[in-house]
Amino acid sequence: MSADAMMIIVIAGLLSTGCAILGSFLLLRRQALLPDAVSHAVLPGIVLIFLLTGQRASLVTLLGATAFGLLCVLGFDWLRRTGIVASDAALALMFPALFSLGVLGISRFASGAHIDIDSAIYGDITFAPLRTVALAGVAVPRSLLITGGAALVIVLFVVLLWRPLHTSTFDPEFAETSGLRGQVASRALLVAVAGLAVVAFDSVGAILVVTFFIVPAATARLLTHTLGAMLVVAVTVGWLASWLGQRLAVGFDSSIPGTIGLVSVALLGLALLASRVMRRSRKPATPVS
Amino acid sequence: MISWLVDALPLPYPDAVVVVGAALLGFVAGALGPFAVLRQRAMFGDAMSHATLPGVAIAFLLTGAKVPEVLLLGAALSAGLAALAMIGLNRSGKLSPDASIGVVLSISLTLGIVLLTHIAGSGNSQQAGLNTYLLGQAAGMVERDIELTLLLGVLAFACVVTFFRLLRSSIFDPGFSAVAGARTWAVDAAATGLLALAIVLGVRTVGAILMVALLVAPCVAARQLTTRLATLVPLAGVIGAVAGGIGGLASGRAELPAGPVIVLLATAFAIACVLFAPRRGVLARRWRSGPHPLVREKARPGTADHSRAEPVS
Repeated sequence: MSADAMMIIVIAGLLSTGCAILGSFLLLRRQALLPDAVSHAVLPGIVLIFLLTGQRASLVTLLGATAFGLLCVLGFDWLRRTGIVASDAALALMFPALFSLGVLGISRFASGAHIDIDSAIYGDITFAPLRTVALAGVAVPRSLLITGGAALVIVLFVVLLWRPLHTSTFDPEFAETSGLRGQVASRALLVAVAGLAVVAFDSVGAILVVTFFIVPAATARLLTHTLGAMLVVAVTVGWLASWLGQRLAVGFDSSIPGTIGLVSVALLGLALLASRVMRRSRKPATPVS
Repeated sequence: MISWLVDALPLPYPDAVVVVGAALLGFVAGALGPFAVLRQRAMFGDAMSHATLPGVAIAFLLTGAKVPEVLLLGAALSAGLAALAMIGLNRSGKLSPDASIGVVLSISLTLGIVLLTHIAGSGNSQQAGLNTYLLGQAAGMVERDIELTLLLGVLAFACVVTFFRLLRSSIFDPGFSAVAGARTWAVDAAATGLLALAIVLGVRTVGAILMVALLVAPCVAARQLTTRLATLVPLAGVIGAVAGGIGGLASGRAELPAGPVIVLLATAFAIACVLFAPRRGVLARRWRSGPHPLVREKARPGTADHSRAEPVS
């Protein structure tokens, strides 16, 4: 295996780590579709920053995109709270509008430039090892630094806020009354999701963002009964899918993010079968606790 | 009849075709939207519209030609399969509805993109234009597309009118509906089928990613203006038609993709209705609820907030 292939696997794996952890919490909170919406909604932020500064991938881009991701989440929250629009309809109202703004921005002002809709949707992890920055004299792929940093931040975030996050996921009212600040933890979780979706969007494109947030977490949910085990399994599934997906993509000469996505789905299928078998051989499954 | 309508509009022929086609499509999607939105199946529709992508790609791979009807048939089949998969995953008991939708959504998107990239790389000269199914294009519309939309739209509308009472009770009181002897699965299948129809008709003009907005936004807007389902359905249709017609025309003139323009128009109208609608609007409520909640409660006990409890009927 070449160094570049290794690098792609590591980048995808690091990204899937953060996504799988946050995705597991979202799945248990019945907000599994939020990352999908956010990953669409960040597009106008990326386009706007590109039009203003001419930069496609910088810290400013991340900030601009995160701002729009937050706009989507907050707008969704506001619409839902008015009681006029149901939760899922509120989501379905917010993200297509923001995504539309982004597409119009690209086709009106930025066509022919280095930003195009294809790379935003399909992602370009294939070339990630080639874009390097010098770090202490060594050329390091930029995506590696970004995804590594993101994974570290997410792990720290979950470790530090474990109690409030855990409690507010399973018993929001208890989390409030016992002074654990469940509301604050939930908001922080949404901010983390928006930030990570942007990082992922930038590194691997929209398809993998959606898959990485949902599929490993769902796979783990089928196989485990405690939150800790679920997180470990979800992260493992993410790495496994990244590794197998990259190998198969090279073997079949197909798109790398697409193949990684399909491998994650195949793993989910295996987990479905396994959970059937497990349930038949054991007592009825107990809920996650 | 269509050529008469197209000729009657004071527009150049290609523009007139686009306006009529996009408006018709907006009407069908808008009018069928409530049957998804009021059942809290908005994101279900999103996953189904993403699922049209692999269907279109597979239909193209099998036939090797870009016949709209064949591609739409492929889209309809795979949207239906996606609906079945979501219901099945949900019934299996361990995944919540949103997780099932998310899983099917990501399978559909991944598979669709992989197949479309594969086709784009295969060098088949016929394939140009397949990716309009991603973001939509109104400019290439011809009279035959309008005829197809009209035919299927009339069929769907006849269905809705005939089974209106069944559909209504299955939305608002599924328990009663089942007890009264309606076959729940049949009503469910019919509602899902109508949803698939609306999505398939719209996906080429609006695009798979944005199609859900054309189902949801007109319904949200119309919901602010009426409390009766029998008014809501045609009203949402009209709102969709206006957004579709204006958006289709504007996008063609400005050489922009049609989907985003139509979606932004419809969403802007929906948000305006949420804010400014006469009775249910956010501003109307705030104005009615007076200066301070405590003062109001004292002054008019028991009359606090009727607007919230006002049901659709």
